[in-house]
Amino acid sequence: MDVMEIRPDADPADALAAVAALRRLADQLEDVAVERAMRAGWGWPQVAEALGVTRQAVHKKHARRLIAAGVTLRRR
Amino acid sequence: MPIRFAEHARAIVRQAEKEAEETGSPVIEAEHLLLAMTGEHGSEARDVLASTGLDRDGLRAALEGEFRQSLAAAGVTLPAGGLPRASRDPEHRVHLAASGKLVLERALKAAVGQRQIRPGHLLLGVLGAQAGTVPRALALAGVDQGDLATRTKQALEQGKR
Repeated sequence: MDVMEIRPDADPADALAAVAALRRLADQLEDVAVERAMRAGWGWPQVAEALGVTRQAVHKKHARRLIAAGVTLRRR
Repeated sequence: MPIRFAEHARAIVRQAEKEAEETGSPVIEAEHLLLAMTGEHGSEARDVLASTGLDRDGLRAALEGEFRQSLAAAGVTLPAGGLPRASRDPEHRVHLAASGKLVLERALKAAVGQRQIRPGHLLLGVLGAQAGTVPRALALAGVDQGDLATRTKQALEQGKR
């Protein structure tokens, strides 16, 4: 992966667009990463701690789609 | 009398929901409404977009390019094939994001004095954005946003006759 320097003096339009794109990317990566972790047998508390959010938050956000996808969820 | 959504305009909003789902977005953004206009319910909006060379594939490519370019500014490179897809909640109801709501608000303003909100008004709603993903994607595709808005207004005028 190329590593570029984030320029603090970047054009505001470019800087704001980068923030919007990073948010979108982070959301997509979270969905994929949480699903992979749960399929690998992780529990909600571990996933929550790894993401730095509460168990309730991660459960509320991801449980329904993972259940619908047939992922076996561990309670702990 | 209240302004109503023309059937095609309603269909565009429904199609935008599908576009959002297809791109893995939990919300309907302005770009999903624009993508929906390039489809079967686009009417004059689709024709105006096509007159500047923007079809569905072209718009998709421009949006993808904008995403990659904006990420690159933060030093992030996506894999060539894109990201892996996550499972989705089939019950999830996609709702309008802030950018999608702005499109509808602007479309309503553009249609004041008319009987209906037509696809062209929705396109004017998209083109009213001064910043964000759509203006950047249009610029990347070499499309003049102001010119596109002028053509849209002309098409709406012609549609009235």
